[in-house]
Amino acid sequence: MNAHLRRTFYLFVAGFVSLVGMLAYWQVYARESLANNPENGLQTQRSIEAPRGLILAGDGETVLAKSVEREFNGTTVYDRIYPEGAPFSNVVGYWSVKYGATGIEIAENSYLSAVAGEPATLDDLINQVTGGPQPGNNVVLTLDPELQRLAYEELASSVTGRGAVVAVNPRNGEILALASYPSFDPNNIDETFPELAEAPDAPLINRATQSLYPPGSTFKVITAGAALLAGISPSDTFFDDGSYELPGYTVRNFQLKDYGRVTFTEALVYSINVIFAKVAVEKVGAEALAQRAEAFGFGDPYEDFPLPVSTSNLANTPPSGWTSGTTAQTAFGQGQVSTNAFEMALVAAAIGNDGKLMEPRLVREVRSPDGIILDKPAPSVRGEALPEETARTLNEMMQKVVTEGLPTAEVPGVKVAGKTGTAEAPPGEPHSWWITFAPADDPEIALCVMVENGGRADEAALPIADRLMEAYLKGGVE
Amino acid sequence: MTQRATTPMILALLVTALGFVTLTFSQEATSPPLIYGAYYAGTLFALYLWVRLLLPHSDVLLLPIVTLLTGLGLVMIYRLTFDIEGAENLATTQALWILIGSGAMFFIVLFFRNYHRLFDYKYLLALAAVALIASTFTPFGYEVNGARLWVAIGPVNFQPSEFARIALIIFFAGYLAEKRDVLAATSRSFLGVQIPALKYFGPVAFVWAASLGLLVFEKDLGSSLLFFAVPLLMLYAATGRIAYILLGSILFSLGSTVTYFLFGHVRVRVESWLDPWQDPDGTGFQILQSIFNIADGGLTGTGLGAGFSQTIPEVETDFIFSAIASEMGMLGATAVLLTFLVFVYRGIKIALLAEDDASKLLAFGLTAMFALQTLVIVGGATKAIPLTGITLPFVSYGGSSVVGNFILTGLLLVISEKAGRREVEEPVYEDSL
Repeated sequence: MNAHLRRTFYLFVAGFVSLVGMLAYWQVYARESLANNPENGLQTQRSIEAPRGLILAGDGETVLAKSVEREFNGTTVYDRIYPEGAPFSNVVGYWSVKYGATGIEIAENSYLSAVAGEPATLDDLINQVTGGPQPGNNVVLTLDPELQRLAYEELASSVTGRGAVVAVNPRNGEILALASYPSFDPNNIDETFPELAEAPDAPLINRATQSLYPPGSTFKVITAGAALLAGISPSDTFFDDGSYELPGYTVRNFQLKDYGRVTFTEALVYSINVIFAKVAVEKVGAEALAQRAEAFGFGDPYEDFPLPVSTSNLANTPPSGWTSGTTAQTAFGQGQVSTNAFEMALVAAAIGNDGKLMEPRLVREVRSPDGIILDKPAPSVRGEALPEETARTLNEMMQKVVTEGLPTAEVPGVKVAGKTGTAEAPPGEPHSWWITFAPADDPEIALCVMVENGGRADEAALPIADRLMEAYLKGGVE
Repeated sequence: MTQRATTPMILALLVTALGFVTLTFSQEATSPPLIYGAYYAGTLFALYLWVRLLLPHSDVLLLPIVTLLTGLGLVMIYRLTFDIEGAENLATTQALWILIGSGAMFFIVLFFRNYHRLFDYKYLLALAAVALIASTFTPFGYEVNGARLWVAIGPVNFQPSEFARIALIIFFAGYLAEKRDVLAATSRSFLGVQIPALKYFGPVAFVWAASLGLLVFEKDLGSSLLFFAVPLLMLYAATGRIAYILLGSILFSLGSTVTYFLFGHVRVRVESWLDPWQDPDGTGFQILQSIFNIADGGLTGTGLGAGFSQTIPEVETDFIFSAIASEMGMLGATAVLLTFLVFVYRGIKIALLAEDDASKLLAFGLTAMFALQTLVIVGGATKAIPLTGITLPFVSYGGSSVVGNFILTGLLLVISEKAGRREVEEPVYEDSL
């Protein structure tokens, strides 16, 4: 009988070992994802009892979020304060015991929260073991606070007062500004949340990353990239008679113009739909067009980015099933194409950075309360959107868009490249887009401005970008 | 086995004291009346001396382990309830139950040193066990959270199944020891599985089915699982026939499928185990809170009193392990699991060293019950298996469970005394684990 007893004992031992395995799974492997789960209320409860870390802007000084002490029923509790308020709230987010958390507050919670992360320094460990108060770590963002504020104000005074601005450093992928309007004041979110959630202009939605819009003609830079790769040169000439008939669909130009014989560069400068549709259908093909869009980030959920990003999309069906009409409309960013300012800013940045798409980053570094660097992500290349030569060619074509077509976009003394988009969005007015980067030869900033239902690109979006660009390049901010 | 374990006893009591000191100083909890601490430490230490005196050859580590686990339970129960209105006195009530359990053990050690007499009453015990379980259907029984597990007689409320399980194990041990040869040597076969003659297997099957059936209808899932698995393991230990395990697994699958479709509460349990995110604020709430708290503990834990495990419903009974994992971390929780495993190891060792089949089976059955109960509730709290509401032996709050487990340990001690004495007289080396 003893052999049977021993065997059952081994069975029990196996059971206990698997339980330790379960513990390891929850307490080590799945720990962080559970701590950041929106259903998990422990972190908000903890924030009342211990101070969370600071959230700082890219200058390392501007405080975007901090915890302040307050006496309550004889014990110390902490309130979360957002000194910069609404202009930053779509990035920083809020931290509410009632309504959960959003933005950097939840994405970087394992650093910000007093004890959600493992002890990172010896001080942390000693504090934790002795049960002392454990302040969280400080998160420094990449945002340029002045540019962010200015972008927010510009959107506020735009035609419709609804839109988004995303600015990115093309060289290293740092997000310099990510503004959305209308926004909200995160300071009294517990009281205002129900009203904000019901508001018709959806202030809780981050328009820069979460909403999807047709990109209109800004998408032509991707089509142009695909066309250059398909062997078309900027000086190749095409004939535009004002329409391009396809089975079941006829392409026409903006405001029904016709341009006659033009070069490919001129087709981009004057944003000629007919020629882009023709090139996409006859020279590039659906597969190559979709492949190029993917290289630029379409279809990518950007899961490593701290803010939720709605995935940009070309069409509801894979390119193999597109009709020539779908390909034609996709070529100039209409039909089923949907994207946001975040993705289009990255498109501009990738072209400016000789075709290399950098990993977009919002967190520059994380420091412990006593200043020890805990995390400092290095710039990394996310992928090749275009080969270097092709990107340079496209860069020059985009400079011509400014020099030959849009003198208002020029910044004195600086070469600017860009592309307009006036995206039809019936029944409303078209969305107004402008993507740009400068200085074109060695860009320091890439921008995308989108004004929801703002009308013509050169009337709503472009002037905003122009002022932001000038402020950033001339104002000497960083 | 004549050595002493005074140091482990003192260490176990010190751990408990340290826990209360930490709570009092770092959480500013008002200290519970010191007199309860003195009672607790005094009783268990006296019990230890009493056992050493009366059963000098008995297993030496069981009582220090029981002391450590009950002490840890007191610390955790106190930590979880001292600031909850209406439940401030839960820890002192638990201390009282530990006193009663110690008393029960005292009497077992005193009167049942010749525990073989128990096997003479095995049929009576089986009858008593079934009657105990059935007693919840009498007017004395009442429901808590939809399960009819409780009986109130006068001022005393208790869960009869906690005591019935011990009576049943004694019955199975006595019966199987008597009939193990005829049960193992079978001639007939059914669907390729050899089955024993009904007249030998009948009593086992009847008692087994009766207790199980009643428990299922009381909606006591945890106990049903234990009452199913323990006799099955004992049957395997007695006969060594894997066929019983296979047959049992088939029966288990059939039974669980039937109960799954028959009972809504079983469906809810299984569904909230498979996908608690479907209803995170409803059926999935308890298990998700448990997981969040366990994860919150990380490797080293939040520190005693610094976690949020009070967010888990029923934390001081079914989910006390989650609170331990949260505040003492993976290291602390693993240490607690190892403590349970040492208890199981000692129990199996007692079974190995015991002289006769009935003693072996009794020690094994009691140990298996203890081991499975731990595995099932910790597995449930960590979402390894669906949740069934049973207690963590000695640690969870609960009078019947504490007293029942003291009786269980008492029986293991008297068996080990006999085995230990035999070992001193005629050492058996080949049987050590």
